[in-house]
Amino acid sequence: MNDPQQPRLTPIDEWEDEAAAMLDGVEYDTDLGLRMARDAIRVSNGELSDAEFHEKYHEELLAEFGEDERPTKPEGFDDD
Amino acid sequence: MTNYGLVIDQERCIGCQACAVSCKQENNVPMGQFWNRVLTEGGDKIDTPSGGYPEDGGSGSLDMEYQPTACQHCENAPCVKVCPVNATYTRDDGIVEIDYDKCIGCRYCMAACPYNARVFNWDEPEQMPEEGTGDVAARPQGVVEKCTFCSHRVDEGLDPACVVNCPADARIFGDLDDEGSTVSKYINEYETDQLLEDRGTDPKTHYISGEMSPGRPQTSDKMESELDDVSPWSDGAEDVPSDADGSDSGDSGGSHHSIESDADPHVPAVGSGGDD
Repeated sequence: MNDPQQPRLTPIDEWEDEAAAMLDGVEYDTDLGLRMARDAIRVSNGELSDAEFHEKYHEELLAEFGEDERPTKPEGFDDD
Repeated sequence: MTNYGLVIDQERCIGCQACAVSCKQENNVPMGQFWNRVLTEGGDKIDTPSGGYPEDGGSGSLDMEYQPTACQHCENAPCVKVCPVNATYTRDDGIVEIDYDKCIGCRYCMAACPYNARVFNWDEPEQMPEEGTGDVAARPQGVVEKCTFCSHRVDEGLDPACVVNCPADARIFGDLDDEGSTVSKYINEYETDQLLEDRGTDPKTHYISGEMSPGRPQTSDKMESELDDVSPWSDGAEDVPSDADGSDSGDSGGSHHSIESDADPHVPAVGSGGDD
């Protein structure tokens, strides 16, 4: 059960521990989730493009989930 | 193009939790979960102030500030970018929503959200009463859920429940792409912040601090854009009263001035004679 008071604005230096705790016990690759979360913020603040982000994780997502339906797919991207 | 957003005036917020409770009721949020929270800044605990009582004739320094927080419906939403099955998506009107039929519960979106706005249904959700509350179907165990800006209400031309039920008129919902909307005017006219701006997520929730705005008194459940006769404060910058507390109006309620509309008032007009 979630602690109703748990959510807060996490300082950036504490974020990774909190994100790891959220993913603890998940049926999927925890490390992949953490890396994607970190890079998704990099996309938001312009350090990484949507296309770069998409290509970086496409193969891993296909292997883990059997699909990659993210909206970051660049035009003309070859799914295969 | 419509692009919905929220302005929260932290100078008006009184920390009453009405937004949190009305959200929970409207959206059938399970026991133990909250989509909408009023965090507090102040003392050591969630409900304790900082500072101290006046002692020995001195002035006190008690202080507690409120930080209402929910999904920020970011323009550059990290949660949307990491969802492998596209269960989290951005609607054409800017609202970030979850397709609970698609969600596989991987919680990658929770890890990516800098605002801790999402909750996970670890167990079979329990409602009180058992049949649930509000107008939204319960979500199943094993999915992530969060604030939707009450999209089911917005689709019917109604303001989100938290906005309608804020007794301090601290929450204003509207179209950020409409320069004439109250949200757009307030963002232009008042000092506003977005949470964790350094993350680049560009939240659609903006917080006013420093100077109190007039808010937007609710004349009905309807969104501002649905009203024929909206608040005169939204008609132009020159109409925004400089005296936000309405001290010369004779009304103790301050922001509740007369509305000449056939809409049923949602918040009763406040009579004169004090606020006790």
